[in-house]
Amino acid sequence: MKSTAIQRPLTPKPAGGGKLRRFWSNLWKRFADGSAGTKLSHLIFGAGNVYHKQYLKGLLFFLLQAAILWVMIACPTVNGTPYGYKAILNLSLKNVHEGGEFDPLTGHFMTGSDCKLMVLFGFVSIALIVIYLLLWNANVASSWKADNDRKIGKKPTTFKEDLKELLDGKFHALMLSPTCIAALVFTILPTIFMISLAFSTYNDQDMNNLGTNLFHWNGVQNFVSVFTGEGSLGVEIHNRFLPVLGWTFIWAIFATLTCYFGGIILALLINKKGLKGKKIFRTVFILTIAVPQFISLLSVRNLLGEYGPINALLQDLGWISKPIGFLGLRVGDSETLAKIMVILINMWVGIPYTMLMTSGILMNIPTDLYEAARVDGASTLKMFFKITLPYVIFVTTPYLISSFVGNINSFNTIYLLTGGGPTYTGYQAGGTDLLVTWLYKVTIDQGSYNTGAVIGIFTFLITATITLITYRRSRAYNEEDTFQ
Amino acid sequence: MKKLIAMTLAILMALGLFAGCSGSGSDGGKDDGVIRIWVGEESAEFYQKICNEYLSAHTDFGYKIEVKGMDTGSVAGTITNDPTAAADIYTVAHDNIGKLASTQCAKPITDESLIAQVKADNPESFQSVIYSTLNGQTYLYGVPYISQALFLYYNKSLVTEEQAASFEGLREAAQAAQTKAVTVTGDDGYNMSFALLARKVSDKSTTVKIFEGAESVSGGSKGESNCQGDDTVAIVRWLQAYAADENGFKWASPDGWDADLDKDNRGVLAVIGGAWHYNTAKAALGESNLGIAMIPTFTLTKEAVEGLSAVQAGDVYRGGTFADCKCFMINANSAASKYAKEQELIKYLSSKDVQNASYLECMNVPAYVGASEFIKQCYTDGKVSESEYNLAAAQVDMAEWGIPQPFITGTLNTYYYSKNGPQVFRAMIDQTAYPTTGDQILSETSSLEGVRKGLYLIEYLWNHGVAPKEFPAALPEKA
Repeated sequence: MKSTAIQRPLTPKPAGGGKLRRFWSNLWKRFADGSAGTKLSHLIFGAGNVYHKQYLKGLLFFLLQAAILWVMIACPTVNGTPYGYKAILNLSLKNVHEGGEFDPLTGHFMTGSDCKLMVLFGFVSIALIVIYLLLWNANVASSWKADNDRKIGKKPTTFKEDLKELLDGKFHALMLSPTCIAALVFTILPTIFMISLAFSTYNDQDMNNLGTNLFHWNGVQNFVSVFTGEGSLGVEIHNRFLPVLGWTFIWAIFATLTCYFGGIILALLINKKGLKGKKIFRTVFILTIAVPQFISLLSVRNLLGEYGPINALLQDLGWISKPIGFLGLRVGDSETLAKIMVILINMWVGIPYTMLMTSGILMNIPTDLYEAARVDGASTLKMFFKITLPYVIFVTTPYLISSFVGNINSFNTIYLLTGGGPTYTGYQAGGTDLLVTWLYKVTIDQGSYNTGAVIGIFTFLITATITLITYRRSRAYNEEDTFQ
Repeated sequence: MKKLIAMTLAILMALGLFAGCSGSGSDGGKDDGVIRIWVGEESAEFYQKICNEYLSAHTDFGYKIEVKGMDTGSVAGTITNDPTAAADIYTVAHDNIGKLASTQCAKPITDESLIAQVKADNPESFQSVIYSTLNGQTYLYGVPYISQALFLYYNKSLVTEEQAASFEGLREAAQAAQTKAVTVTGDDGYNMSFALLARKVSDKSTTVKIFEGAESVSGGSKGESNCQGDDTVAIVRWLQAYAADENGFKWASPDGWDADLDKDNRGVLAVIGGAWHYNTAKAALGESNLGIAMIPTFTLTKEAVEGLSAVQAGDVYRGGTFADCKCFMINANSAASKYAKEQELIKYLSSKDVQNASYLECMNVPAYVGASEFIKQCYTDGKVSESEYNLAAAQVDMAEWGIPQPFITGTLNTYYYSKNGPQVFRAMIDQTAYPTTGDQILSETSSLEGVRKGLYLIEYLWNHGVAPKEFPAALPEKA
């Protein structure tokens, strides 16, 4: 039976604001003015499509609704931990079961709740509700569209036509769907999960005391411990956070600037007119890129190690009596020397990248700029500072920023060269540890996931803030396609 | 739409936070008719064969048995990460028992006949570390079946048996070969036991205590620890001098201890290691050159005891070791219906006969009391080679000079191994400064005071997990 109700068009966009009001108004109009099928589809997914004889589409909507409702209401369990509404209630982590009940006669052993799964399933269940709402909207919209098609005398689209549309008008939706789903499952959910851990007592030491998988929420205690030194790893964070943060900045600044300007200088030298064997020079420097970075770094670590060839040579020459701890690999080695060494070694690894990029940029600088400058009597140095450098900086500002952020998170260089050493007694964070290598040690070696999450959040806040401020203030952002 | 989602999320989160929670847990996995066992990688084939034989002889057993080889060094971590995915019966070194019990990864053993067998067969030292507490009740958790201890591998072509008996003898051989005498396979807490746990030969005494009397309840007492006795101070000072000697002790080079030991390199003449290093040591030296002996003795020098009252120059000590055992444990997540059969199977697999067979086929040194008789008999009967016999005999002998790792909770294990105690120890042996918290610097470790401070630091780390804010004005002189 067809609806005889007069269908009103959706509310036109107001000049500004009132988005939420418009949204609710449109929802109501769809319900009030929709056909019986559309009305019913508010409750039963796919009903509107069935009403419009789009049986397959209707069935798909209905099956999806049934599946989600089943998960949400029946609450199936995995390893004793439920999904569904129970999982959402479990997010409070209250009244968790401590376990340990054992019957010596039958061997029945009741293990405790798995808080990790409880939290994870809670977030998954919330995501399911969001998906349910999106599906609900899609199913009503689909029926509403069919209503409107009928109104203007068009036949509602068939399933085949809908599929065809996915390859044509809605091609973007088809292409983006897998990415969005992957982002939800592999990025958004884990990120939310990891962020939530920063507000929990989830670490091996506390969990050993409570039982294998028991933890609870502790508010902002882990963040507070950065300042007060309380908590399971509070002392570590309190005493080592600022030194590590400070060194991370020093490292990022030096590593970025040395490689950046070193690369520019090298590119200028190699591109200098009259230099013979340019290709050979370029190849030689690019070879360091061709070799995987971790191999280069481990080779250098061996070269400079306690028993490495450099120390052996210096000892054979009689210049030193004991090996020099270049990389802070032994206790008692100099922290300052290790820091200088990693910056120098990083230049060797990083300069060729900038050189390669700058070479291309240098070749693109309009030669008439130089000619005009020469006519005006500018010196080579002046041309470099007034033309070359501004041009290169203008083009490479985004690279400079990403390089700075990359260096803040430069795990490989530090971990493979020094392992964060020299070490500090009782602490995970050594003299050359960056926030990111410290985070690795705290989570992987120490099993303190909540502290790791706090460090991760701090790292993110710092890098995001710096990136946003610097980039928005840069000429590359403000004068996007002009170079004056 | 975004606001709608945000509001929904907020409402649901609030509901989740304020509503009561349906607590969850698990009372064991499903019984699928298979009992799965994890053993060391080197023994998997042997135990599968043994289990198959058992099934043939006990057709009414009612379960299939699947044996899988695992790296027993890291298996405890694998189990705690996801106990539901672990085998029904697994093998771990005994120092993991406390952690696995407290984290509900292991189930107590209650079969009377199995408990009786464990009590009858195993030495007292093992029996003190295989129990743990559940709900205030003490239960047997681990069933020992392999014994392991540190001992000495040496290059027979350059060191005589007599020289290998003492560190001084090794130095004499090293002087002749113009190389270093001895190294260890790593500078971690396990390997430092060779010096830290050294005992006086005359009465096997040591003042060292590591978590003695600690409670197996997580968060309980850490027991008593001591590594500041005069004997320990003297041993450290002796080792400092021995390491400073150009023909004395060295830490393994980055190429590895085996490269140092290699018969062509001759970087070092001997290495203190365990049975798990046997194949590598054999490859480095060749079977004909591979000598195996107890960890040697050493004699305290006048310099080492200077300023100390409880030790005398000329006192002879033997290098010590952690004398450990590998144990079978039952997974707490295993189905209750398998429980009786699991215990029956463990009883069989840990029986003397199976331990003996395991020695003959896999070189696993038996854990039961009196195993040395069987080992000797095997050699007399020509069932094992000389080096294989020495390997087992040295471990059995060294077990008498060692103590089992006393880490009955995960925290104790972490405090001993992962809080830089071993690094402080190495700094002392190398006589280098040791940075502590940044404001506390162990500026030198060469003097008596430096050594006392270093040992104070180590003991403090065992007890507290962090470095002290400052050293006490007067360091305690413990007997």
